[in-house]
Amino acid sequence: MERLNETLKTEFSIAAAALKNRLKDRPGKERLRDLIEKNGVGRFHRSRKMTNDELAPFSEKGGIAGVDGSTNNTAGTFPYVITVQQALAMSTAAKEEIYRTAVLCPLFMGESMDEAEYIERVKSSLATLEAMAALEAAEKLKPAVLLIDGSLVRLKIEAKSLWEELKKSAIDRGILLVGVVEGITTKIISSALRESLPETMKEASDWELLFGALDEGEGLEIVPTGLKEGFRTVFMRTSADPKPIGIDLLEEQCEYAELVESLIFTLTPRDSRGIPLWLDLVDKKVKLSDALLEGLLKTYLGEDYSEFLTPKRAKRSL
Amino acid sequence: MQVVGLTTPQEVFVASRERKFRINEILVIDDPNQGPLIGEVVEANSYNRFIPLSINHDFVDSRVIESLERLGYSISDDEINIARVKLRNEASFPVATGAKAHLPEFSEVRELLVRSTTEDGLALGEIKHTEETAETMDEDLKGLFYVYSRGEKKKTKNVPFLLDLKSFQQYPHIGIFGGSGSGKSYGLRVIMEELMLKGIPAIMLDPHYEMDFSTREEGLEDAPDFRESFKKFQIGEDVGVEFLALGKRDLLDLLSAVKPLTEAMSSAVEILHRRGDSFLSFSSRLELLAEALELGRIRIEKALQQDLEPEEREKYKKMKELLEEYPNIPLVSVQGIAWRLRRLQASGLFNHNIKPIKEALLQGKLAVIQGPIWLLQVFSTYLLANLYRCRRDYKDGELRGEAAGEYFPPFVIATDEAHNFAPKGYDAPSKGIITEIAQEGRKYGVFLVLATQRPTLLDETVTAQLNTKIIFRTVRGHDIATISEETDIGPEEAKRLPYLPSGDAFVSSPLFGRTVAIRVRFPYTRSPHTLNPFDEIKDYRRKAQDRLLDLLEKHLPIYDTNLLKVVQALDAEAPDLKMEVRTLKDSLEDLVRSGKVQKEETPFGTVYYR
Repeated sequence: MERLNETLKTEFSIAAAALKNRLKDRPGKERLRDLIEKNGVGRFHRSRKMTNDELAPFSEKGGIAGVDGSTNNTAGTFPYVITVQQALAMSTAAKEEIYRTAVLCPLFMGESMDEAEYIERVKSSLATLEAMAALEAAEKLKPAVLLIDGSLVRLKIEAKSLWEELKKSAIDRGILLVGVVEGITTKIISSALRESLPETMKEASDWELLFGALDEGEGLEIVPTGLKEGFRTVFMRTSADPKPIGIDLLEEQCEYAELVESLIFTLTPRDSRGIPLWLDLVDKKVKLSDALLEGLLKTYLGEDYSEFLTPKRAKRSL
Repeated sequence: MQVVGLTTPQEVFVASRERKFRINEILVIDDPNQGPLIGEVVEANSYNRFIPLSINHDFVDSRVIESLERLGYSISDDEINIARVKLRNEASFPVATGAKAHLPEFSEVRELLVRSTTEDGLALGEIKHTEETAETMDEDLKGLFYVYSRGEKKKTKNVPFLLDLKSFQQYPHIGIFGGSGSGKSYGLRVIMEELMLKGIPAIMLDPHYEMDFSTREEGLEDAPDFRESFKKFQIGEDVGVEFLALGKRDLLDLLSAVKPLTEAMSSAVEILHRRGDSFLSFSSRLELLAEALELGRIRIEKALQQDLEPEEREKYKKMKELLEEYPNIPLVSVQGIAWRLRRLQASGLFNHNIKPIKEALLQGKLAVIQGPIWLLQVFSTYLLANLYRCRRDYKDGELRGEAAGEYFPPFVIATDEAHNFAPKGYDAPSKGIITEIAQEGRKYGVFLVLATQRPTLLDETVTAQLNTKIIFRTVRGHDIATISEETDIGPEEAKRLPYLPSGDAFVSSPLFGRTVAIRVRFPYTRSPHTLNPFDEIKDYRRKAQDRLLDLLEKHLPIYDTNLLKVVQALDAEAPDLKMEVRTLKDSLEDLVRSGKVQKEETPFGTVYYR
């Protein structure tokens, strides 16, 4: 067996020890909840699974629609890449599925741009597709609830104009617009509790603090601060998984927060990582796999050209 | 419905989102290059990409799926059905992937499914999974009979399976294989009913006493009445063997059927039996010889020298003659033969002849021959050989252009437990004639329908001649192997044999050129044995009790001090009850237990009253 480099081992063990210490500094469940309540950061609320009768009004109003997007690149070095994107909106009640697609290639975008710029473009393009799909879903599928994979803030930033339209449409039609965030990156709690937290935790992310602090079905609705204007945020543990997810709502629709919490809790399998099944189904359908991309390349570019695009790195055999 | 995945010229996969496939269904594949190709589903699968749900390694509980259903989404919508389809005829090159497939209209597959008409075919059952195709079928083929499915009798909605009568000329014999409870007897019953409907003369050997067609099954509209179409004969009571007509060979067969003969006995029979012997002449010769051998020459001669009644003298004289005529026959052999002959005689076999059977056949009826299996073997040997000879003589005479002899019709011979009549590996009296008919019967229009649960035990020469085979559920590996060897049944079907529901069968026939999965139609008539033995016990008890209660009625109330008087009264009224005081008391207690009679203890003893 190959021997591991000694220095590497030492360095790694130091990093691991530091991480362990940081975990020790996390406030305990009771203490954290205490701090949050005392400082008025948010309100805890326990949801339960809805009964079929309780779900009935949703299905009468048009069911639940989910929106998700997927993006994938052909293997290659910038700018010799083709990016394929698609967004899908799919409703539980209507048969129609709404797809929006885009294909980007930095070589043919008119202006010259560097890789970072291109990545930004890719991100905003995906957000735009998702917003378009969501907007069309709101108009055509008329669901009771529109679940968006990812935070609403992201749409607002990446696809400004469409977002406003979507928001207006949702409010006008009485569609609950909900963002479901799998990976929370905000630091709302730590910044509100700065004074009461140990040094290492002052910059802690919300998920890190809330990990294990919520019971199954329990949500923490954050009292609005200036940070995410126009939105209402709820952190919620929707399954057996101790890591919470984030739920975004429009400020205008914040009165429905508890209803949305219950709905999401109901639609999330207990033994899953905490995302409503419907979004997973949408995700599965919209996903642009490597195999698909390869197939597209081989079909439309031909074997020789796709060989031309393949970077040397992909050919390493050792 | 379209072809997906890798294809070969023999086999393709067809996928459909809307429709579930069923095994044995027929599909037409519209290959853009080769035109329509007909195939049969040999494997059917369903697949749902969300169940068992593990999406991104999460596992989904049913509660959530139910909630989604409430919201209008049914996860089963995402089901994909896949069928493995074997092409009927090999294509010239692999089928185009993406080719569309459709369920055939009847006209597209008529040749494949129906090879006869309702007039000329025996309607044995329905071809499974052909409902859709049957909708476009000619009206006269629709709803011909009833089938039994999921506890209900219903008019068939499938394409009927018609076994063409005229094809018997080419493929004359039918084998029916299947374990007990597989529906084999039903199958046999249906074939016999169909033969009766068509007025085909037939003989049915019935060791189980179950082939009675007089009780109609309930709830079947316009079920035909078979009471006049068949005749039941008990061996020894209605029919028998005419001793006078027996040849030496026949007699040997008969005797050995009781118990195998030793060589000494066989040669003794050959010596002792004379042409034109009646039963009486033959048996008295045997008995007399036995007596003579027992007495011995010296004592017989001594007796003859004494003063005897004339009759006695005559007898001793005869004994002496016999001894002189047959000097070398041992006593034990003669005794053995005599014993066997007595047994045959006791069964009544020699008191009748087969004339009634011949008459039934001439009238186009079914003759059901009943008797214990050993007697059936003996009798059938004689009967079949005789009838076959009648038919052959007539037919041969016709061929030779001789003035037509006495007409004798073609006929069908059917039997259950056929392995008893033509067993493999050892000799049975009836084996010779059955083998002969199996090999040559076609020429003369004599056909076999042989049913058995153990095809492995059936003589191979016979098995090889069974052209059409109807195979019901079979569990024994040995028999499945035999069936696979003897039929064109494929490995897929063979695998399904142990799991076939009762009444379902595969038909392997050269006429169809493929194995057809059928469900045998519901018989119009009922076997007399369908009463469950446990119901029978209950039934009997209840009846006996009711009868006793009726009889006791006028004696009630009965004091247990007075039982004797009641017994005497009962004895007079119903002597068959054979009541005694003890048994009457027991019966009264029984009645008390079943609540039909009350019992009370009084100062005068126990009293039973209504």
